[in-house]
Amino acid sequence: MQAKAFNFQVFLEISCNIVFALIIIYLLKSGNYLYYVTPRMEPYLIFSTIVSAIWALAGIKRLFKPQHLIRSAHCFVLMIPVVLLLLPHSALGINDVSTGYAGAGAYMKNPTSGNSSIQSEYSSGQYSDFTNDPVDYSGNTTSPSAQEDYNYSYDISPSPYEPDVKSGLDEENKKINIINDEFYPWITEIYANMDGYEGYEITMTGFVFKDQEYLNENEFVPARLAMVCCAADLAPIGILCLYDNLSELESGQWVTVTGILHKGQYNGQDEPQITVTGISPAEEVLVYIFPY
Amino acid sequence: MSLETKLPVYVVTGFLDAGKTTFINNLLNRADWSDSYILIVRFETGDAEFCSTNENFTYLSFMKKELEQNPGMIEDKLLETIVQNSFDEIWIEWNGTVPFSKLQNLLLSPSLRNLFTIHKVINVSNGEQIENILGKTGEALPEQISNSNIAVVRNADSSESFKRIRNIIRNINPDVHVCRIKSYKNIYKHLFKRDEHSGTMFFLAILAILFAHLVMRPFLEMMGIPVNTVINIFLGIILQALPFLMIGVLLSSFIQIFVPKATISRRFPKSPGLGILTAIVGGFFLPVCDCASIPIFRSLVRKGVPVSAAVTFMTVSPIINPVVILSTYYAFSGNMTIVLGRICLGIISSVIIGFSFELIPPKKNILNGGVLDGLMCSCGCYEDVESVTTLKGKLLLFLRHSQAEFFDVGKYLIIGTFISSLFQAVSISVFVSAQSGTALAISMIIMMIMAFVLSLCSSSDAVVARSFANQFPAGALMGFLVFGPMMDIKNVMMLSSGFSKSFIGRFLFTSFVVCFLTVFLFANWGGM
Repeated sequence: MQAKAFNFQVFLEISCNIVFALIIIYLLKSGNYLYYVTPRMEPYLIFSTIVSAIWALAGIKRLFKPQHLIRSAHCFVLMIPVVLLLLPHSALGINDVSTGYAGAGAYMKNPTSGNSSIQSEYSSGQYSDFTNDPVDYSGNTTSPSAQEDYNYSYDISPSPYEPDVKSGLDEENKKINIINDEFYPWITEIYANMDGYEGYEITMTGFVFKDQEYLNENEFVPARLAMVCCAADLAPIGILCLYDNLSELESGQWVTVTGILHKGQYNGQDEPQITVTGISPAEEVLVYIFPY
Repeated sequence: MSLETKLPVYVVTGFLDAGKTTFINNLLNRADWSDSYILIVRFETGDAEFCSTNENFTYLSFMKKELEQNPGMIEDKLLETIVQNSFDEIWIEWNGTVPFSKLQNLLLSPSLRNLFTIHKVINVSNGEQIENILGKTGEALPEQISNSNIAVVRNADSSESFKRIRNIIRNINPDVHVCRIKSYKNIYKHLFKRDEHSGTMFFLAILAILFAHLVMRPFLEMMGIPVNTVINIFLGIILQALPFLMIGVLLSSFIQIFVPKATISRRFPKSPGLGILTAIVGGFFLPVCDCASIPIFRSLVRKGVPVSAAVTFMTVSPIINPVVILSTYYAFSGNMTIVLGRICLGIISSVIIGFSFELIPPKKNILNGGVLDGLMCSCGCYEDVESVTTLKGKLLLFLRHSQAEFFDVGKYLIIGTFISSLFQAVSISVFVSAQSGTALAISMIIMMIMAFVLSLCSSSDAVVARSFANQFPAGALMGFLVFGPMMDIKNVMMLSSGFSKSFIGRFLFTSFVVCFLTVFLFANWGGM
């Protein structure tokens, strides 16, 4: 409470700004920020370090301006995130995520790339409510007009989907070996060209995702976690697999799946599915997928 | 006197007629001070005179004019008096119309700094007049209150009026101890209490967090609260929100400092319809999410923009800005019904909410400082607001103001985010299981409550809504998408940094009902 020429409050504010800026720079440099937010946030995070630095600089002038009442509680706005970032904690895995499987269609980069991808969304259960919902919530769910509303037009902005990957593709032997970095591009590619990859042997790595509510007993998804905005919206994505000995696999276990791609039926709609021929344990892949 | 021990200084502030002199007389003539040798310095010419029964006081008196024109003379005089006598204490009666920072600069000037420590600052106010003069008498009074340790209230006999005045004072300075003038015991307690250095408190608090983390974590995890998940979700939302909050406070401080109030009230359309239209267009072109729109909303209201238009801006901008439209489009795989539905229903709802504030204007001032807020900024940088005219000065003030606002709104962001990440880690499944075989109205309400609780940024909520498409009908998703950006825990917390409870309550209620009805009617009519 002593009134000194040295202004402790300003000193604290400056320190917090600097510490905050440094830790964000560290997160950006190390790439660890990707455990919390998507690469799209990078410019914004850079912006926030710049603002913090400017605030710190602007404070220096007041550092020796006396002040009677010294407050410090407000500095926790910056210190709490900093302390939590420094406290030991691990990146989120599947068992921490309560969001359900939304189907790869939910994260399709180009939703207009063709009929098949749209259908696959229906088939992966996305809009099962609109067609199969037993609940009569509006009085006219089952009327044709209601369903028409969901047959939204596919032909808006027909920007062609450009597959940015083909690595791991062996057209001669009809094999696709999906490396971890290409997980997402390949899934969108396969969803978009289901017919083209019919009968291909596919190998991919993901964790075992079972869902008693929406998947059958012999169905699971070798999934990865996809982040659209931040750690709060992590959700599994992948391709549905058919495997009879599913009880052998534990939920959340990392596996490399080999199987044959074929067009499957789910709720009367087409979607790519894999009939599993081989499964082996795999190393955990600690990188999220960023659809956008 | 020896220069090693610093003289304790007690400062009494308060407006004219607040009763400063009487307070000092009554207090210092009590037996506790009979053995002390006291210097009383007066910067005021009031009606009341000092009188000492024990003849142990020395007086100095300066005019306001001298203070303004010749502070150096005052400094010398003070120094001379102090060196010649050996006082135990100095009591200063400060002028009610001069900012406390002037005194601070005087007492902490290089020549006097080593002689004094300001022990306590006491603000005396007259309960009968304080409500009328606050906000009408310039910035000195609120500035004095915000620098006080103790606020003493006179003439507030009924406990009701005392409570009301206490609230007003605490709105200005949340840390102040408010006492009635007659409760000497209370005043003594605060007067002689040594306050902890707030730096010590700061580091203690950090240690407490670390300790709590170590000790509580296993315990919480046993209770089924996934601490790790909470931390991750919290950091995710915070790292995402802080840059946008910074954008928001920079924009809002810009409005505050560089745009004169007159310009806004002259240029802003007078008719409510045009005003609301302006708000919508502005909402589209300012790509801000809800973290940023609240500080901007606050400064718009302060600058005299009609509440209806400002409310429309706040509710519509997180929904219709290009980033949000795009992310909705992606998340729903180009489903234009959802995208257009979200935009249109969002605009319709916010226009209705805006008009509701036009039709029934809020009775009281919606800013929680009442009339006060129109006049000064909440950041406590009162000292320069009027006097700064140079661009450099304004820039510095802009930086300082934006930082203060960042801390001010940020603390609510932290609290709101923490609550919502807790909910998110624990209870999504509760919401999902609550809905199974229920009617649309119920599903909608569940989804809207979920939007409120989860406090997602409006640029990311679409994909979360999408992940519920399995369990919820489209109407309920639409409720989530329209209501979520307008109102959630985080927004309520952030609004409470500047607005009265009755306004926040009304706004929450109105927006919930309007969003619900709009989406519900549309879903039934359009077959959603």
